[in-house]
Amino acid sequence: MSNIAGKAYAMNVITPIRWYMAWINKLIFWAANRTPSSLRGLVTLSLIHYARWVIIDRWKFPHLDPSQPKEDLHYSYMLFFSNFNGSWDQYVDSFTFAIPSGLDLFWKKNVRYPKSVPLTPFHDYIRHNQIDTDHYYNAYPLASSNDVKSAKHLKQELIAFDQGVRDAGPEEFLKKYHALLVDLQYDLGDMQPAPIVSLATQAVDARRLLDARGPR
Amino acid sequence: MSKRLDLPDIQGNIIRAYGRFGFPKGRFFFLRIDDGDRGRAFVGTITKRVTTSVSWGPPPKGVIPKPEAPINIAFTYNGLKALGLPTASLAGFPQEFIMGMKKRKAILGDDGPSDPEHWDKVWAEDVHVAVSINAQTPENGQPLEYVEEAYQWVKSRIDGSDGGVVLLTGHRGDDGQEDLPFQDASILYDENDQPCAKEHFGYTDGIGDPVFEGQITDEHRVAGRGKLTREGGWAPLATGEFLLGHPDEAHEYPPAPAPILLSRNGTFMVYRKLHQNPASFERLLDAHAESFPGGRELLAAKLAGRWRDNGAPVVNTPDTASKAAWDQRFAAADERTRDGMLADFRFDLMGDKCPIGAHIRRINPRGSLEFGQEGAYDTPGALDDRRRILRRGLPYGVVRDRGRDDGNHGVIFMALNTSIERQFEFVQQQWINYANDSKEGSDKDVLLGNHDAACPSKMVIHADPKSGQPPYFVDEIPRLVETRGGDYFFIPSMTALRMIAKGKVDPT
Amino acid sequence: MANISGNAYALTALSPIKNGCIGEISYADEVQDRLHGLGVCEDSPLAKVPQTYLARFFILDDVFYESTPGCDPFCNLLDILSIFKDRFRLLTLPREDHLKSRYLVFSSNFHGDLETYLRGMWSAINADIKRIWEHCVAFDGVRDAEGFITYIKRCRLTANLFFMGSTDDSLEEQLKALYLKQQFVKFAVSHQGLGAAELQEAFRVFIERVQPNRLAAPTWRPGQSIP
Repeated sequence: MSNIAGKAYAMNVITPIRWYMAWINKLIFWAANRTPSSLRGLVTLSLIHYARWVIIDRWKFPHLDPSQPKEDLHYSYMLFFSNFNGSWDQYVDSFTFAIPSGLDLFWKKNVRYPKSVPLTPFHDYIRHNQIDTDHYYNAYPLASSNDVKSAKHLKQELIAFDQGVRDAGPEEFLKKYHALLVDLQYDLGDMQPAPIVSLATQAVDARRLLDARGPR
Repeated sequence: MSKRLDLPDIQGNIIRAYGRFGFPKGRFFFLRIDDGDRGRAFVGTITKRVTTSVSWGPPPKGVIPKPEAPINIAFTYNGLKALGLPTASLAGFPQEFIMGMKKRKAILGDDGPSDPEHWDKVWAEDVHVAVSINAQTPENGQPLEYVEEAYQWVKSRIDGSDGGVVLLTGHRGDDGQEDLPFQDASILYDENDQPCAKEHFGYTDGIGDPVFEGQITDEHRVAGRGKLTREGGWAPLATGEFLLGHPDEAHEYPPAPAPILLSRNGTFMVYRKLHQNPASFERLLDAHAESFPGGRELLAAKLAGRWRDNGAPVVNTPDTASKAAWDQRFAAADERTRDGMLADFRFDLMGDKCPIGAHIRRINPRGSLEFGQEGAYDTPGALDDRRRILRRGLPYGVVRDRGRDDGNHGVIFMALNTSIERQFEFVQQQWINYANDSKEGSDKDVLLGNHDAACPSKMVIHADPKSGQPPYFVDEIPRLVETRGGDYFFIPSMTALRMIAKGKVDPT
Repeated sequence: MANISGNAYALTALSPIKNGCIGEISYADEVQDRLHGLGVCEDSPLAKVPQTYLARFFILDDVFYESTPGCDPFCNLLDILSIFKDRFRLLTLPREDHLKSRYLVFSSNFHGDLETYLRGMWSAINADIKRIWEHCVAFDGVRDAEGFITYIKRCRLTANLFFMGSTDDSLEEQLKALYLKQQFVKFAVSHQGLGAAELQEAFRVFIERVQPNRLAAPTWRPGQSIP
């Protein structure tokens, strides 16, 4: 069981929301979808690969067969899934420090949401409602979201550069190569394994590797 | 600044960086408590001479004359336990403090030559108490006269404990000794024998030390040292970032052990003995000085973010011409203007003036993590404000031979903060030994990073697109700084010290 | 359709697990155990599923009781009423909800459209799929890719907001780009300061080796955890 795969952390949060308030949240999400500038804080934080919010109306839990008992809930539920870089603390802290009003906007209608400032009640709220991931897969454990984005830019520019210097002499090549490096100078970070997120995780990982190697 | 702190209750080293106030000498030594009763009696006696944060000088402003040798005291978790603090109080201390710094080596990157197995032998002992003496040097007489007097006084109290308190030996010294009973430190002196604020690589250190509410009354020192406001000004940081029992930047009291009287006005101290490799550093500069446009000193300035000679911020002096102009203005300026020139600045978004991976930019981005997207965050420094640390250490040793790495020289690094994990450890792990937040992947800080030949790191020195030059890569970076010891300590308030001494800590 | 952002798709599927046991282990615990036993990174079965960026499984045992402090819009009215009758005070406490089944939650972020993805998933790892889903309600009717697609669509939830903080390129594009970034950085640093002709030749050799336009190889493997 692990919430971590390489540089990504899988957070799952489920929170109740009064069914007659859920439409307000749906409206807020609908509006956010249509105004990209509303998500500017999230975009600038740049910590997230992909994240989603799903509101399940209380009568809409999948019911596949008469043998399955039908759910009978007082509340509807909001699910939040995030794939982000860094530790849990860093992630939650970054949001509280940088975009507290954005957090409040998305979670305000949830039952007993304590607002994102001060910090500790908000930490507690997320922990209280977080479910651990049982299996997490990341196609590029060595790459953060920043790495994936900068790699895209690098590939585009590299290919364009290669095309552009097909027939160039050495001096022209060098000049264009320098310009390429300047263009890519923010995309050249190394990609090594992630910093240890927690000593508990490190210990579990070490045991897993030992187990995988089998008895001597 | 309207907040008033209870200065007589706060130990002096929290409010003041003694080195800046005319105390060039330091001596740090560590004790083990072998008997609770005698240990507490010892703490009670020492507390009577512990220096607080009250103003110095003649009345009415001053409360006491400036002391010759301030003494301060701090404890590890094991030390507090040995002094008989109840479990209910002990359990309220944060996890990283309970574990101690050695066990956190994977998080801090203390591997290879920095691994605890290479530390000074004293750190293999069970360290309970840290006593620090900072001292003036007498006008006439031996430089260490005041240090010695204070040290002998404490030592006599240790001896008087009849084995209840033990002075731990095992510090390395200048001439190959491995078993000294203390660690000496001192500011460095320049070629004219004048005290200067430099460290062994030649950089001026400690300019950007944070300023927090209630700390000092010099308003002009806030610029560049506090936090950024949305309007573009500076304000002091919340007291609770550096003192327990006060609201912090998250608008709450920082988590602290119970009872309040134990924690309020106290803080946590990270003590690290950092050995420096001057020969490796000079070789690194040599290796790149030829090919780096702008020469050796500009290269050194780009690595750190400040020029070595006078600390000019490279963001305002990105080339030799602008540096010369800055130097002229600096020489002609009064002290207040000079301070502003050194401390009050922001970084350039594109990094072609001050590289994104430069040391001072890594440890305090000054709003750069908003990447120029004005208004994206609550304040420009939203991601920086809770990652600041107070610097209270001194250099130790002298470089006798700049062609060798193995002398006894480095920095006694002391960082004060209310959350070791959120402040010091975070900067060390995420901003020194890693750089995803500034979008530089796994690139490490040149000066402090735990460089490893098996997995070499690099630094990109960004180019100005108009210059026609490409960015410059600093590679083949050797490990320039090695950890040689240290631990996590709790600096109690004066009230807490008296309660600990009397065995009266009780969170019921 | 809020599950889609550009070419990226956010699949959230809640599959109810049968109530009952195998011997003394509940079906849900058995599923959870099987999930814990899956290989990780390049050894995960999901590494074989084409176009998967990041995906996860977890068991939703139950919802949580919100015994947390907090402000509620309707507390104020009840607070006032509770001055008169104490039972109003109890009404301000949150209600205790329980799910009647436990759910297998599969959340995947991938490139492309849902049906192609699920078909690819069935084709690559249908044995693993059966092992993971076999104790879910009504899964015994699933015999082929089309059956799997129908099943998942019945379990699928619609995202209200799908935030794409990365790119929506195909997985091959992303992996190739990461590979090129890693290789080019090494090249740029190690060839710093070379003369023009030498550099140009070295670059030609470099391009021949890394083949930027060939997505199939050389490139990073899905889930690759060693640099």
